[in-house]
Amino acid sequence: MAVSWRKDSVYRDGSLNYGRLALYAIMIFVAIIWGAPFIWMFVTSIKPDTEVISYPPTWWPNEPTLEFYTRLFNSFPMLQWFRNSLIVATITTVLTLATNILAAYPLARMRFRGRKIVLLIILSTFLLPGEILLVPLFLGMIKFKLANTYFSIAVPAAANAFGVFLMTQFFLTIPVELEEAGRLDGCSRLGLLWRIFIPLSKPVIATVAIFTFVRSWNDFFWPLIISNTDATRTVPVGLAIFVGRGLSMRFGVIMASAAAATIPAVIFFLLLQRYFVRGISTTGLQG
Amino acid sequence: MSSATTPKEKRATSSWNSIKNDLIAYAFMAPYLFLFIVFLLLPAFVGVYASFTKWGIIGEPKWRGLRNYTKLLNSEIFIESLQNTLYFVVLAAIPLIVLGFLLALLVNQKLRGRNITRAIVFLPHVVSVAAVGIIFQWILERSVGLLNYYLGLLGVYPPINWLGDPDSAMPAIAITTIWWTVNGNMIIYLAGLQDIPEDLYEAAKIDGAGRWQELRFVTIPMLMPVNAFVIPLTVIACWRVFGQVFVMTRGGPQGSTFTVAQFIYETAFVKFDMGVASAAGVILMLITLSFTIVQLRAMKVI
Repeated sequence: MAVSWRKDSVYRDGSLNYGRLALYAIMIFVAIIWGAPFIWMFVTSIKPDTEVISYPPTWWPNEPTLEFYTRLFNSFPMLQWFRNSLIVATITTVLTLATNILAAYPLARMRFRGRKIVLLIILSTFLLPGEILLVPLFLGMIKFKLANTYFSIAVPAAANAFGVFLMTQFFLTIPVELEEAGRLDGCSRLGLLWRIFIPLSKPVIATVAIFTFVRSWNDFFWPLIISNTDATRTVPVGLAIFVGRGLSMRFGVIMASAAAATIPAVIFFLLLQRYFVRGISTTGLQG
Repeated sequence: MSSATTPKEKRATSSWNSIKNDLIAYAFMAPYLFLFIVFLLLPAFVGVYASFTKWGIIGEPKWRGLRNYTKLLNSEIFIESLQNTLYFVVLAAIPLIVLGFLLALLVNQKLRGRNITRAIVFLPHVVSVAAVGIIFQWILERSVGLLNYYLGLLGVYPPINWLGDPDSAMPAIAITTIWWTVNGNMIIYLAGLQDIPEDLYEAAKIDGAGRWQELRFVTIPMLMPVNAFVIPLTVIACWRVFGQVFVMTRGGPQGSTFTVAQFIYETAFVKFDMGVASAAGVILMLITLSFTIVQLRAMKVI
């Protein structure tokens, strides 16, 4: 029986049968489990006050309203938090990209003393739980009077080794001939990096940029510790310590805050999905 | 260099060239290495040093030898935080790995809508833990929460006080965590599945293997290298659980969800006892490192 068989197809002809129906049922179930919390958050946030704790729960409000959003933005400096998050994530991302591209070039393409040791030390920090760093970083920031600055929130995150690793891996795949041709044309090493490596590495640069941005946007533990004024506080920290606290049953406003924080991230993701998938599947590192 | 060079001069030039080469390499790396050393390597060493000292928020550290460690190991709260975290690791890490694998198998099937399913499962990845925590607080609410309503329809009575009952709080945190982060493992396993060469399946087919046998003798063995990094990274992430707990329960009720990271937070940034907090951080590091080594040994990776 010479039947062609594809690994991602359980049933050769794709017709509906019980096994395939079961798979569809499971898939729909999975989609509901992972999708429903988002929908529920959004629906709750546009309900009028009286409908939030209706029983049984309703999946669409009788009278949709943005009342909770008005209340949210009137009671909390959400826009300031957003601005802070944006500034912090931008600083981290730009700094990460600039330093990582430069560092990845010699690690991938030059022979120099100490290369293996540098790589080993950088990579070994993947296994280091970051909690050990919090106290020294905190004390250092206090000592240099840098607590509650964008610098203190944004810069330590740029020391993460994920981007260096990913870019080094990618630079290794760029053909040597291109580099040699560039050198014959009299390109300096910086010129090679700028004219050959960076243009060829756009996908991986985009992956690192997006990952770093989202990681920074969502970072929680460090910003929680190092910033305690609204002037620098980021969205997740503001959400966790103000909006979500002490408002036991006011879930409408709370869900409006969660939605306000989540919707930009979701749009961002939908536009740039493939870069996320690439970043995770090539490094195993998850944000 | 126009004039002829003696061998001695040549050696000198080449060693100068190699030094120059090294200097260029390090100049390229300098900005990153500066960040890496100042914000990662140095703090790691200072953290270990701090664990042997008494160190407040101001003033100089005082050497205390191993006293922070003996204090911790005799502290009921710390031991409980270790037990709680271990419980969380068991509750969350195993489903994160197994479910991650099963979801990857599912969305690797040729089904209509698999791309959108992948996207939906992946979506929580970009949401901050603060938002995830408050969404699940609302869903898990005892009297009007969504989950209890549907469980009630299935006959679960009385309603579960998810976050208010010491028995169910940690499982609730684990459920939240699985929903939030299983997608990372799913994507890694999916990439692993797509890397398995087709001919292995064809060979299995010729040998008369059924679908279960293919899974057992082709898919799972071929995914062993993937396991070698999914398992340690998942377990390390679980040992470090913080944000979910901070947002959803703050370690309660009755300390039932008080984890090691929560202990470090309270000790360092509420009580400002930096030495003891650092010692707890070192213990956390030793636990995750030894787990990783044992696991990689068992899998014969190292």
